[in-house]
Amino acid sequence: MSASLSGSSSVPRWRLSVLGVVAVALFVAMFARLYDLQIVGASEFKVQAEANRVRLVQVPAPRGRILDRYGRVLVDNRIAVVVAVERNSFDNLPAAKRDEVLMRLAGELNNIGEPVTIDSLRARVYDQRFSRYAPVPVAQDVPEAFKIYLEEHADLFPSVSVQRTTLRSYPYGPLAANVVGYTGKINEAELTAFKAETAKPYALNDDIGKSGIEKSYEAHLRGTPGQRELEVDAEGDPVRVIRETPPVPGSDIVLSLDIDVQALAQQRLEQGLEAARQRAPRGDNSPNNATTGAVVVEDPNNGQLLALASYPTYDPVPLADGIDNEEWAYLNDPANHYPLNNWAIQGQWSPGSTMKLFTAYAALKSGLRAADTVFYDRGGYSIPGCSGDPHCFRSNAGGAAYGRITLPEALTVSSDAYFYEVGAQFWLQRERFGGEDAMQQYMGEWGLGADTGVPLTEERPGRLPTPQWYRNYREQQGKHEDWTAGHSVNLAIGQGDMVLTPLQLANGYATFANGGTRYQPQVVLRIEPPGRDAAPIPVDPVVVQQIDLPAEIRDPMLEGFVGVTQRGTAARAFSGFDHENWPVAGKTGTAQVDGKADTAVFAAFGPATAPQYAISVFMEESGFGGTNAAPVARALFDSLSGAAPLPEAPLGGLPTEPESGLTDGGSTYD
Amino acid sequence: MTSVDLGTAKWREIGPRRWSEGGGRTERRNESGPFRRKPPPLWRHVDLLLVLATIAISVLGALMILSSTRGTDPNAYDLTFLRRQAVFTGMGLATTVLVATVDYRRLRDWAWMPYVVVLLLLGLVLTAVGTERRGTQAWFQLGAFQLQPAEVAKVVVIIAVAALLAHPDPPLGARWVGLGLLTLGLPMMLILIQPDMGTALVFVAIAMGMLLVAGAKLRHLVVITAVGVIGVIGIMNSDVLEDYQRDRLTTFLDQDTHLGQETYNLNQSKIALGSGGMSGKGLFEGTQTRLGNVPEQHTDFIFTALGEELGFVGCATVLGLFLVICWRVWRTAQMARDRFGMLLCVGVLSMLVFQVFQNAGMTMGIMPITGIPLPFMSYGGSSTIASWAALGLVLNVHMRRFR
Repeated sequence: MSASLSGSSSVPRWRLSVLGVVAVALFVAMFARLYDLQIVGASEFKVQAEANRVRLVQVPAPRGRILDRYGRVLVDNRIAVVVAVERNSFDNLPAAKRDEVLMRLAGELNNIGEPVTIDSLRARVYDQRFSRYAPVPVAQDVPEAFKIYLEEHADLFPSVSVQRTTLRSYPYGPLAANVVGYTGKINEAELTAFKAETAKPYALNDDIGKSGIEKSYEAHLRGTPGQRELEVDAEGDPVRVIRETPPVPGSDIVLSLDIDVQALAQQRLEQGLEAARQRAPRGDNSPNNATTGAVVVEDPNNGQLLALASYPTYDPVPLADGIDNEEWAYLNDPANHYPLNNWAIQGQWSPGSTMKLFTAYAALKSGLRAADTVFYDRGGYSIPGCSGDPHCFRSNAGGAAYGRITLPEALTVSSDAYFYEVGAQFWLQRERFGGEDAMQQYMGEWGLGADTGVPLTEERPGRLPTPQWYRNYREQQGKHEDWTAGHSVNLAIGQGDMVLTPLQLANGYATFANGGTRYQPQVVLRIEPPGRDAAPIPVDPVVVQQIDLPAEIRDPMLEGFVGVTQRGTAARAFSGFDHENWPVAGKTGTAQVDGKADTAVFAAFGPATAPQYAISVFMEESGFGGTNAAPVARALFDSLSGAAPLPEAPLGGLPTEPESGLTDGGSTYD
Repeated sequence: MTSVDLGTAKWREIGPRRWSEGGGRTERRNESGPFRRKPPPLWRHVDLLLVLATIAISVLGALMILSSTRGTDPNAYDLTFLRRQAVFTGMGLATTVLVATVDYRRLRDWAWMPYVVVLLLLGLVLTAVGTERRGTQAWFQLGAFQLQPAEVAKVVVIIAVAALLAHPDPPLGARWVGLGLLTLGLPMMLILIQPDMGTALVFVAIAMGMLLVAGAKLRHLVVITAVGVIGVIGIMNSDVLEDYQRDRLTTFLDQDTHLGQETYNLNQSKIALGSGGMSGKGLFEGTQTRLGNVPEQHTDFIFTALGEELGFVGCATVLGLFLVICWRVWRTAQMARDRFGMLLCVGVLSMLVFQVFQNAGMTMGIMPITGIPLPFMSYGGSSTIASWAALGLVLNVHMRRFR
């Protein structure tokens, strides 16, 4: 059997074959698995490989600017120095070194007044939501000298870098701050809310509009962040830049505001409030604290707002640069009357007698009264069907009796009795006039009790009380109480539950001025996208409602309003005004507030013949409208009519001590 | 017992055969009939196909080592690893020539000497003389180079076991099986202590292959297998292994739920292979490879660099080349002039097949992650030289199959 040359013996051949078969089987298994991975699974693995390799880093883009109607820059960007920590290289430092750097940096920042601690720095640098590939800012707007110090001592501060960033700047200081609003660092809630934003994605530490135009036009103002596509190695260290798209600045927003008018309105308002504070309260009234106020100047021909003054106001600079807790607490303390509010759209005050425009319209339009119907004003009014209650008799303000009057005269002298009767009759004859809220229906045409839709944040709707509203309101207080004629009487003269915003009032008078076209108040004229070739996007006026104002209704009312400034309740305030060439139609209002001094109100437009400006003035806790509010409007009309120069708005804001140049409004009941 | 008896009738001589019966074309060309007086020079009998396939794999391996170690700077490739691997391959080729030149039958008498030396080295490496890397005490630091005795041990043990089992006529008695297991088991135990599971498993593969072909009774093989399985289960459930070692071995069984370093390795490995697709991303274009996403890529995971840059085509080519090598080794085993030569080839074959399957399989997630190199491709001096030495053994047997 054996032919062996070396003494080996025979071996079963199949055993070697088994080895061969096993080997082939194992190779087949490998080929099959390779096919599975590389042919079947290739596309999925390619995606994963790409995700392994590429990291996206956002490069912040500058925001657009905000300009006034003549192109004057209200909100600009300025370059600021930011101290940042390069996370990627920082992470690669030994732990002891990292602490040392942070400690040294915290110390140096404290020396220049930055309120940081080593713990706050550490928390920020290790915040995983910051990209590893972009510097993490730890202090912004540090002095140029500090930048030089850091650069000269780079060896002491490894992975600390100095960057440039843009911060908001305000050439006119706090002027129009309540309109343009302010920006701040994006917070958690906003980050979540904007998660779906893909065109201009938000990153931690991004600036975002917090109020005003900055917020409502955020989508336009915000620049498109640039994107840097980094290739990273297995440790996540960047190897090279694959692609880079540069950031694109946001669009400029051109406002309808005229900063000169804005400055004047703000100045006159503050002067008026100061004058009110100096006046002794009427009788046993509360003192004139003159805490808040607002002035609106609107172009009645298109609804464009020329000025929205608000008091108290605030300095937007610290807000943009990072506000400290103390300042923030001040701005939110009720004792300081909320300087951050834009009182022109957020203040809700009873309009007092300025309401009579809407009441007069309701009376004439419904046919309740004719303009020449003679009413006998006995100095007060007894509500029919009411007895046993002292409130059943309502007297005129100051108790004056005006005798036989028609509508124009009732407006000029501000006869309450005339309008009490209108309110009472609307209620008593509600079947005839189309229901229990017939008067409110007419008033509602002027936009009362609803947002005007002005593109500013936090606008409030005011309230036009109806019987239904009143019942629900009392129901919530656990009381069953119905609307009475007394409520209608109150509403007719703009007292009680009736409240509106300065903007609503100005817009109502503007609507009357232009003959009945109610515009949506417009604050933005156009949007100017970045780039030389980009065409501006105009914002067209929006007509919300067309009110039918035939001459037999408008003319007598206008006559009454013109009389107000010439011989009526605002005659003192408008003494010496050029009534001949530039007549002003207006109405004073004095709204009573429980436990506080009256709200002084004035609404007007001029010139009455071809109106160009509609103005409303509200001054809380200030006393008579004719005494306090009318002079503010008068001062504005002086400049708007050309009788006095319109001063150029001062860069940096108004001087702190306003010199008073207001007329004496006298002391007239309205 | 009865089943083994069946075998007797089937015992057929496959050992030495006349050269006139020889198979391949090469041999036939050299053949000049039974009356030839002077045989052709030995080098005429070198298995060229085997050598060329091995060189092809080495070249591809060198390219992949460069690709995975050149760094991220596109303008200045780091050539350190490539240069060193070139040196290793040169030393490997020299070893092959040396091993192939000396008649393998002489090795048989001296086989115990290198075996004893290797046992001593394996013992010594566990002492303070050896160095530790990633928890395994497996290296001697010799200047800039490191010697891994376990790699050398594989080849030396194959020679020793072949020499031992060439003695008895099949079927092997229990005594021979026991001796064979002891010869394999001693170095294997020392390697397990390091601990180096992967290399120890190679010894198991070598043992099974050589015992099978040497003529161990099936009964014995079954018992050995059973003991082995029980042993593995016992080890996995005992606290002999550190947790991370256990994780490495079991990650591939449960690829979706594990977290941590092992799953990361396996995922990155599969991403590299899979993203290569049919034809790969191109030489030096692999992102996983260039950016270092696959750990140990130039050594244990070299197959993934190939997969990413040259795709299915590249991987299939290399596996195909390995298949050619295995076929030539298997064929040499068949043609070997004697039992010792045959067993040498069987040992080398078992080693190669297991290492290729274990290594490539681990990168694809069908085998546990154990740190063993892909022969002729992975970066590493000991492994490269040992692989070339094993090739030398096979060439030696092939060249001398007629005399």
